[in-house]
Amino acid sequence: SSHEYKLNFKKSKEICLSYIQDAMLQKQWKKAAEFLTFYSESLEKDFSTEYVSPSEMIWRIGTEILCHHSHSSMKEFNSFTEQMKSLGVKRYLKVCLEHTFHLLCNGLIDEAYQNLSLSESWRFGEQTIIQDKEMKLIKAYRGLLDYYNWSKQKNILLEHGQDGFEDLSVEQEMHSCFRKAAVNLKEIIKIPGVWDLFVKCYVDLLEFYGDHNEARQVLNEYAYNSKFPANPNAHVYLYQFLKRHGESKKSLVSALKILHDVVPSHELMIDFNIMLQKSKKRKRRRLGLEVIFAVLDYAGWKENVKAWSCLAKQVKQIVISEKHLDWIQQEWNSRKDWWPAFHFSRYLAKRNWQENESLSYEKALVAGILLGKGCKYFKYVSHRGCQAQVKRFRILKKFVNKHNPVYLRISG
Amino acid sequence: PLSPQAGTTFVPRRGGMGESWEPADAAAVPLLPPNASCWVPSVAPQDILYRGVLRGKLQAGKCGATLDFTKKLSHFFVDHPEDAFGSLGRLLHQNFYLGNSKLKVSVHPAVTMPSITPPLAAAIPSLCPLSSLQRQARDCTIRMTALREVIDRLEATRGCPRKHLIPRLRWFSHLSRDWLFEVPLGLLADCVHEDLLLQWASLLFDDSPTGGALAWLPPRDMGARTGCLVYPGGQAMNHLCILPRGVSLGREGRGHVALPLAGSPDFQDVVLEELPCARGSPAQFELNGRIRQVAAAQVDGEDFVGVRSDYHCGVWRVSGRTGATPTPLQVIRTSVPASCLTVSPHLPGELAVCTQSGAIYLWNVETGLQRLRHDPQTMFFRDNSPWRWSDFTAHPRVLSCADRTGLQCLDTRAPTRCHFDLFKVGEEAGCQQGERVVLPMYMGRAYSSQHLITTQFSVYVLDERLPLVPVLKWAHMMKAPPLFAHLTPGGPRRSHKVLLGTSRTQELLLLQYRGEERGSGGGSRSACRLAGPPQKLHSIASCLQHLPAQLPHQHCLLQQRLGAPAAGLAAALQEDGSRESLLVFQLSEAGDEAERPQQPCASSQPSSAPQEAERPQEPCASPQPSPAAALRYRRWMQALSKGCGEPPQRSRPPTFGQKRLFTRKELEEPSAPSTLHRQARQRLHQAMRDGGRIQRWDPPPPALPQPLEPAAGDLDPLSTRLTAAWGWDWERWWEERTSFNMAQRQQALRERRRQQKRAR
Repeated sequence: SSHEYKLNFKKSKEICLSYIQDAMLQKQWKKAAEFLTFYSESLEKDFSTEYVSPSEMIWRIGTEILCHHSHSSMKEFNSFTEQMKSLGVKRYLKVCLEHTFHLLCNGLIDEAYQNLSLSESWRFGEQTIIQDKEMKLIKAYRGLLDYYNWSKQKNILLEHGQDGFEDLSVEQEMHSCFRKAAVNLKEIIKIPGVWDLFVKCYVDLLEFYGDHNEARQVLNEYAYNSKFPANPNAHVYLYQFLKRHGESKKSLVSALKILHDVVPSHELMIDFNIMLQKSKKRKRRRLGLEVIFAVLDYAGWKENVKAWSCLAKQVKQIVISEKHLDWIQQEWNSRKDWWPAFHFSRYLAKRNWQENESLSYEKALVAGILLGKGCKYFKYVSHRGCQAQVKRFRILKKFVNKHNPVYLRISG
Repeated sequence: PLSPQAGTTFVPRRGGMGESWEPADAAAVPLLPPNASCWVPSVAPQDILYRGVLRGKLQAGKCGATLDFTKKLSHFFVDHPEDAFGSLGRLLHQNFYLGNSKLKVSVHPAVTMPSITPPLAAAIPSLCPLSSLQRQARDCTIRMTALREVIDRLEATRGCPRKHLIPRLRWFSHLSRDWLFEVPLGLLADCVHEDLLLQWASLLFDDSPTGGALAWLPPRDMGARTGCLVYPGGQAMNHLCILPRGVSLGREGRGHVALPLAGSPDFQDVVLEELPCARGSPAQFELNGRIRQVAAAQVDGEDFVGVRSDYHCGVWRVSGRTGATPTPLQVIRTSVPASCLTVSPHLPGELAVCTQSGAIYLWNVETGLQRLRHDPQTMFFRDNSPWRWSDFTAHPRVLSCADRTGLQCLDTRAPTRCHFDLFKVGEEAGCQQGERVVLPMYMGRAYSSQHLITTQFSVYVLDERLPLVPVLKWAHMMKAPPLFAHLTPGGPRRSHKVLLGTSRTQELLLLQYRGEERGSGGGSRSACRLAGPPQKLHSIASCLQHLPAQLPHQHCLLQQRLGAPAAGLAAALQEDGSRESLLVFQLSEAGDEAERPQQPCASSQPSSAPQEAERPQEPCASPQPSPAAALRYRRWMQALSKGCGEPPQRSRPPTFGQKRLFTRKELEEPSAPSTLHRQARQRLHQAMRDGGRIQRWDPPPPALPQPLEPAAGDLDPLSTRLTAAWGWDWERWWEERTSFNMAQRQQALRERRRQQKRAR
C-alpha cells in the first residue's frame, strides 16, 4: 500500500542519514559524500514532517563535507551552493549568508561582497518576517564589509597624507563607503540583540566624522535600552568612549558602577577600584572596597596578584588610618563563613607560597588583618617568608602583630 | 557564525582546525572483569506493548502505543498463581472436595463478592450444585473434574516456556475472579497499570542516570600516575567501588571513620543518615540503593565524591595520599527521589542536591543543609517533568538551578531575592519546538564563567556574564538525549575536549572547544568556537565483533549485554612525553529493577570500556584489535562465561504431556501387527544388531530403468530429446541442436542468396 511504501521509504532514508552521520563523525568524508548522493533521492518524495527538511539536510551535510573533503575546491563549493539556493526558495537568503561566511573565512572578501549585493536584490513573493530579518542581516554584513573597505581607504589616505599627497578619487570612494556602511549598520543595531561588532564599527565611523553626539546616543541606546539583552560589552564600549573623549570622572564612575552591578567580575573592575581608591570622596572609596571584595568572590580571580594587591593596599590604608574599619567589617560579615575555606586554607598557603610568592604576600596581609595573626594562611606564609629571610615578610609579620586588635574589632 | 578579529580576518565559528585525535584501538576494550551477578536483560518496548494491536494501529495510520495491560495481568495469574490464588484457594480447598465421580459444578456469574473479607461461608453456597439455574448453566458451567485435571497438568508443566493459558482455566478465572483472587482485581489493575506507565515512561526517556555514575579522580600532581576510578558495582549496582588505577589491587580497605553528624535539620524532605562501612578492596562500600550518579570534584588537593541513589545521597573524601582509604563523610536520606547531586569545585565538603519534589538544597558537611528553593512548578513555562538540577557557578555562593525549561542562578545568601535567568528555552536561544534542557554542566575548569547546556537537539555554551544569549550553539544530531558530559580542560592555547554521551544508544561524541582567548595585545579576542569536526568514539557494543566467536544464542545474549544502556562516562588525560592520550571510560548498566521494584536483584555490568585516542597523528590503526586488547577480550569472555554464562536453570526441566498428542484410539495397540509393522520391527532389530542407522523407512525405490539403447538410424527429434534428458545430458543436446540449427539456417540462407543471384 502507499502508506507502507511511504513508511519504508522514510525508514530507508533515515538509515541512509545515520550512515552519513556515522561517516562524517569518523572523518570519512568520501564515504559520506557517496551516501549523500543516495540520500538525495529523498528530495523526490518529501513526506517528512520533521523540523529539518531533507533539502535543508542535504545543504547542511553537503556544506560540511565540502569544507572537509580533501578534493573539494572553492569552485565546487560555489556551484554546490548555487544549486542549494535554487532548491528551496524559503532558504535562499540563509544559504546566501552562509555562502558569504564561507567566502570570508577563505579570505575572498570581494566575492563575498558581490554575493551579498546579489542576494540583496533577490525578491520572492511576499516577504515573511523571517525573510525580512535575514535581509536585514545581509544588509548589515554588507555594511560591515563596506566599513572594512572604508577603513582600508582611510589607512591609505592617512599614509599618503603624511607624504603631503592627496588623492581625490580615493577620498571620494572612502566617503561613499562610509555612506553605504552607515545606512546599513544603523539599521541593524536598532533591532534588539547582541550587535557588538556592528556597534563598534558604526561608532568608529561616526567618531571619525566627528559626530560624537550621534555616537554617544547609539552607545547609550545599546547599553541602556531594556529591550536589548543585558550585555556587559555595551557598558564597556560606552565607558571606553567616554574615556576617549575625556569625560568627567563622575560619568566614568557611573558607567563603571553599572558595569559593576551587571558583571562584578569584569576585568575593568581593577581599574575601577584604582580610580575609586584615589578619590577623595569617602563614598567612592567605600564603593572601591566593595568592588574589589566582589571581584575576589569569583573563582576566576582567585590567583590574581593585581586584585589581591589592590585589596591589600586598601585594607592596609584603612587599618593604618583606623578610620572606617566598619567598612571592612560590613564586607567581611557576608564572607567570613566561606572566604577562609575558599582563599585562606593551609593547602592554598602551601601552594601559593610555592607557585607565586608575591601572591602569597598580598593574601597573607589580607588574611592577617581579617582573620588575625592566628590564621593558618598567615602563619604558614609569614613563617616561610621569615625563614627565607625575605624582608617584606618580616615587616608584614610586625604589621599584623601590631594591628591584631583590628581583627578583634572586625570579627566582633 | 563567524567572528572577525582585529583586522579583516574571519574565523569560522564551527569547523576550522582542531587537534586530530585518532582511536588507539579498533574498539572499546573491557577494563574490569564483568559483573558476575545474575543478569536479566532490561525491559524492551515489545515486553510492554501488545504487538497485535500496535501493528493494527500502525497500519491504520494512527500513532500512539497501547499498553498491553490484559496480557500483563494474565501473565500475573499464571506466573504467580501463589500470589493470585494463594491462601484463599487453600482455605477453600477443604470445602471443595469433589470426589472421583464426574461432578458438575456450575458457577453463577451473578454471585460476586465485593471484597474478600466476608466469611467464606457466604462464598461456599455458590459452589454447590444449583439445579434451578439450569437455564444459564450452559454458559457458566465448568466441569470441575476437567478443571482439576487441567490444574494438575499445569503443575506438571510449571516452568515450561511453552505453556499456554488453558481456555478452561481462563474461563474459570473469568467467572470467579471477583471473589477468588488474593489481591482485589481493581487494586491489582491499578498497580499494574501504574507500573506499566512508569516503565513505559522510563523506556521512552529515563532521566535517573543523568550525570552518570562514573567518575575519574585525576592524580594530584601531574607527575603521579595514579588516579582513581569510582564506579558502582555489585548485584544491584549498589556497591561503591573506588579503584586506584596503576596501584596493585591487594590492599585491604580499612574501616570507616564515623564523623559526628551535624545537627539534624528540620526539613521533612531530607534527613541525615548513618554512614556506610567499607568492605574489602578496592575500597568498596555497600549502600542500600542502586547508585544513580557519582559526582566528583577536587578541592584543596582532596577529592570529594558525591553518590546519589534514589533516596540516599552520600559524600566521601578521598585524600591525595596514595594508599589512603576513602572516608565517608555524611549521608542524607530524601523522602522523594533525588534527581541531582553535584560537588562544589570551590569549597571542600559542599554539595548541591535536588529532589523530584522541586527542592534545591545546599549541603555542607560541616554546617548541614540549607534549602534554597522549593517549587514543584517549573520556572518558565509548564512542563510536567519533576527533574531538577543544580550546579555551581563562578561565584561559590551562587548556584545554578535548572528544570526542563531553563536555568536560573540564585544566590544562596538570599535565594528568594537574588536570582537571574541564565538560560531559557525559547526564542533568545533559537530553540526548536519541544526542546528541553537535558543536562547542564558548569565548565569552570575551562572557563570560570561558562556553562554547557545540552538539550535533545543541541548543545549550548552560556556565559554567566551575558545571560540568555548562548555564546555557542551546535546541533549534535545524537539519536538520544545526551545524559552524560565530561570536560577535559586543554590548557593554554589548546582546545578543551568535551565528551557527550547518551544512555540508551551508547553514543559518544568528542567535541573540541575553544573559548575566548585573549590575544597578546589584550585587545583582540576570538569568540567561542568549536574546533575541528566532532568525532564519534567507540561504544561498548563496538567490541562485540572482536570478541571470540560464540554460539548463536550466546552471541545474542552477549549482544544484549553489551548493548545495554550506558550508565556513565569519564575521561583521563595521560601525558607520556610528547605522546598524549585520552582514556575514555564508559560504564554500562545492564538491566534494572524492572518487574519487582522492591527486590532489585537483577542488574549488573560495570564493564568499563576505556578508549584511547592518541594525539600524534598516526596512520590509522588496522581495524584489528591489538594483541593486548585481544587478550583482554578473551579474559573478559572467560570471566563472563565462568561467572554468569548461563542464566540460572529453572527448578524442573520442561515436560510435555503426551496424553494430548495422540488420541486414545491412536495409542491403542492393534490386536495383530500388520505386515508393515512386522517389516519395520525386523529392520529395527537388524539395525540394532548391526549398530547402524535406518536412513529411510520406506522400502528402497525400484532401480532406475535402463536408458533406451539408441536405435540404429536417425530418431525423430522428440525421441532424441527425451533420451538426452533421461541420460542427464540434455543440456549438451540442446547446445548441439541450437548450433546445428544455426548451421542449418546459415546453409539455407546461403542457398537462397545463391538462388536469388541466379534469378537475376
